[in-house]
Amino acid sequence: MNEFVMLFRNAPTGDARPSPEVMQEFAKKWDTWLAGISGQGKFIGGSRLSFEGRILKPGNIVTDGPYAEVKEILGGLISVKAGSLDEAFEMAYGCPILLLGGYVEVRPVMSSNN
Amino acid sequence: MKEFILLFRSTPSDGPQLTPEQLKDVSKPWQDWIGSIAAQNKLANIGARLGFEGATVKADDVVTDGPYAEIKEILLGYIVVKTDTLEEAIELSKGCPALSMGGNVEVRSIVQMNS
Repeated sequence: MNEFVMLFRNAPTGDARPSPEVMQEFAKKWDTWLAGISGQGKFIGGSRLSFEGRILKPGNIVTDGPYAEVKEILGGLISVKAGSLDEAFEMAYGCPILLLGGYVEVRPVMSSNN
Repeated sequence: MKEFILLFRSTPSDGPQLTPEQLKDVSKPWQDWIGSIAAQNKLANIGARLGFEGATVKADDVVTDGPYAEIKEILLGYIVVKTDTLEEAIELSKGCPALSMGGNVEVRSIVQMNS
């Protein structure tokens, strides 16, 4: 089995925040989708990222917020195991971020010894 | 202690493949830098180094090959560190080898999954 990372990206929404009801509904969709992957024994781990953040650039230049120069913001990521990129990719279908106009980027993880 | 993710981004390069010696030269500063964070007991998760192969799924199940089609910057990899503050996590980021390749480090706080 190989390891793949799924990156969940979306356009920054600015100050607009969904209502608690909508948030809860989406949390449920994420739980269901993630449970489908872990139910197959293919979930390794992941993180949900907060909006707070900063960027460090060459010359130790610090910019506030992760949004200044990006069209899209990373909302989180998970690691999964799969026999091939195609198989990992199949798991991405049904991810709730797709319902919000966001997308899922699937990338293989390189082993640290090569 | 809080957890912060450090995301390493750079412009995509489809230059020639590196020789094994060149790869070693590239890997050494990364090992040294990550080692120094681990030595301070602040490495929460070694993260992942991402391969260039990849694909993207969009709404309505539209699939594009390769992660580069529409982005200026590609994610090279990430690690997770634990520090008390965002400032401290940024301090740890200084010295990251991605910076010497013209790349940048995005530092983001992690939301607990059960909150």
